[in-house]
Amino acid sequence: MIPLLAAENVSKRFYATPALSDVSLSLLPGEVHGLVGENGAGKSTLIKIFGGVYRPDSGRVLLNGREVELGSPAEALRAGIAEIPQELRLVPGLSVAENVMLGHLPARAGRIDWKRVQALAGEALARLHLALDLNAPASALSFAQRQSVAIARALSRNARILILDEPTAALKASEVRYLFQAVDRLKSQGVAILYVSHRLEEIGQIADRCTVIRDGRVVARYDRGGYGIHDLVLQMTGRQIDLEHLDTGMQPGEILLRDGIEARLDLREGSIVGLAGLLGSGASQLLRRLFGAESGARYALRGRELAPSHPSDAIRAGIGMVPNERMLGLVLAQSVRDNIILPNLERFSSGRLAGLNNAKIDRVVRGLIGALDIRPADPNAIMRSLSGGNQQKVALAKWLACEVDVLLLDEPTQGIDVAAKAQIHRLIREFAARGNGVLFASSELHEMMLLADSVLAMREDAIHARIDRGRGLTEKAVHDAMHGQ
Amino acid sequence: MNKQALIEQIPVITLIALCAAIALATDRFLTPLNLTNVLVQASVITVVAAGMTFVILGGGFDLSVGSTVAFSGCVAAGVMMKAGIATGIAAGIAAGALVGLVNGFVVTALRVNPFITTLGTMVSVRGVVFLITGGEQVPVDGTLPRAFLDFGVERLFGVHYLVWVPAVVIVIFSWVLARTPYGRSIYATGGNREAAFLSGIRVERIITSTYVWCGALAGLAGVMLASRLQSGQPTSGEFYELTAIAAVVLGGAALHGGEGKLYKTVIGVFIMVVLGNGLNLLNVESYWQRVAVGLVIIAAAAADQLRRR
Repeated sequence: MIPLLAAENVSKRFYATPALSDVSLSLLPGEVHGLVGENGAGKSTLIKIFGGVYRPDSGRVLLNGREVELGSPAEALRAGIAEIPQELRLVPGLSVAENVMLGHLPARAGRIDWKRVQALAGEALARLHLALDLNAPASALSFAQRQSVAIARALSRNARILILDEPTAALKASEVRYLFQAVDRLKSQGVAILYVSHRLEEIGQIADRCTVIRDGRVVARYDRGGYGIHDLVLQMTGRQIDLEHLDTGMQPGEILLRDGIEARLDLREGSIVGLAGLLGSGASQLLRRLFGAESGARYALRGRELAPSHPSDAIRAGIGMVPNERMLGLVLAQSVRDNIILPNLERFSSGRLAGLNNAKIDRVVRGLIGALDIRPADPNAIMRSLSGGNQQKVALAKWLACEVDVLLLDEPTQGIDVAAKAQIHRLIREFAARGNGVLFASSELHEMMLLADSVLAMREDAIHARIDRGRGLTEKAVHDAMHGQ
Repeated sequence: MNKQALIEQIPVITLIALCAAIALATDRFLTPLNLTNVLVQASVITVVAAGMTFVILGGGFDLSVGSTVAFSGCVAAGVMMKAGIATGIAAGIAAGALVGLVNGFVVTALRVNPFITTLGTMVSVRGVVFLITGGEQVPVDGTLPRAFLDFGVERLFGVHYLVWVPAVVIVIFSWVLARTPYGRSIYATGGNREAAFLSGIRVERIITSTYVWCGALAGLAGVMLASRLQSGQPTSGEFYELTAIAAVVLGGAALHGGEGKLYKTVIGVFIMVVLGNGLNLLNVESYWQRVAVGLVIIAAAAADQLRRR
């Protein structure tokens, strides 16, 4: 079978840094090809070569077996290659139909032919077996639905090759199924899909073949069923990383936090409790309420009543929170140092209008950069220039600098690579092992199993079940509890 | 990295190049008299621009400062005639702070867009000025106290009092911004409001405070202007808001907040003032001066965009 799209011995350098070296990869009609690698391995560079953003320094790109030069994204699109990026680029105020047809609205005598807009948009969505209201504004759709609209837009332009870049990063479990169904339908229609994801379990489920790249080179290629997550991790990192649950080695101690409203929520010293729930289950909101970012929480912290109405109340009581998007928790235009001291400003001075004690700040910040292995190890590095994993470490460092007793973490490892994930997990365990408590929400069951001593299953803004390790904590039990089975 | 460092210095390089060009074109630029003139011209607008820097760093915007300058100048002059110099000055600054408080309240509590809020107060405050003065200068007849008028023309260590005021303001407020928890909170709030909130910062209070400082400094500028003009003028301060915003942008601060330095705003002010002064010395028609100033503002904003790529 002739591949729809192929890269042959492609290399690309940026100044002195090789981004891709001699990479070959082909997409067959009706194939889902998984592409995995750590951040910086060269995935985005390859995507951008296929998408016409970069040109390879050497090697060839073949379309239907013939060499092509993709000089611009528009040329790639004309060649039938469409990238579905993480940010979907829909116009929120426009209708579904208009979003699908955006950029090539059919016109007759200079006026938009709205009947054809509806017909063509409906056709494209039908290929995904989707019955969305064509007149609804895009802003009324869920993230998964908007993603389908973005895919339908590509189909309406006769794309035969789709590049999905981290398509599930913002999806919860039930929505992932929705996406997978769409992918299956596209496969049966002969569309080739390059599927880029950090979520390795998904690759195993959906990819017909999987290519692993590391440091710009292809290091392994597997066929469906011929590999496990461990193989992928080993190849991605070049070393074995422990993916088993590790005990903190602590016997749960005194009760640290007990909720006045949610009876099942208690957090003991030295324990890590997971909140498992689908999108809209209320896990994020519960964390935000406990932190005082939304009102309505009432609980006891070390026996003292607390009803925080502002994050500063919770922080003063010894609680820190890392929100589910790094964009929300970090000031990306500022330095690592500025971000770490942000919740601690008054700790580093004798008053709000007194000078900051720079010597003390430098000592604490350097200590944390070392302890958390934040790279680059430069307090003045701008946050924007750090990788996702290192940004997340800074988000944790903010609270370690405050010496909080309780950490609330919302999707602590979302969108970061496997090695960084393992480091974050280790930091979380070490924090708990010092006699502190961690309450975290995650939509990844796998992460639940790795980290949690107890799992609270959430549904409809309430905790419906508590499952403790050693007393029936299995992935299936958590899954069933989340879905109310 | 080097390129980045060089780009950071664009405002300074621009100012030096501008001064060099004007000095070459006319030998009247580098005279003590003219340089003193430049400093005095820059003094009032520097104080206004310092307040504007606070607001913009915090993620806001303030169009009302020009009207506030007139309002404060007239209030200060009026009160001074009845209750003495010190009370008059205090009243002028307080009047400015009050306008800032209203701006801050509307922006944070009523969540009205800063542009619209301050457009509204800009128009209303100017209206109030005309209402309380009847459109006449303050005082209508008689003169302001001697000591206050002297302040507008006399010098200390060879430098006008009017120039000492912004010098002190800039030193103190630069230190507050760079070295205090309050200052860092302003940067964080402007850089990422949600992140600042989730770090325990009372972002509404911080934002309101930036408007209050901006209003108070516009008030101080109004007092300075009244002493220079020897009266409170209801039509004074027009276009000050635009000059101040332009100076902040020329100094390289980000209009979306969180990035910028006070001393660079001062450089921005001097670019504007030196440009105007140079065109004057070269006998360029004043209408052309407006065109030039407008183009410089757009060029600065364009340079800012290039820097961010």
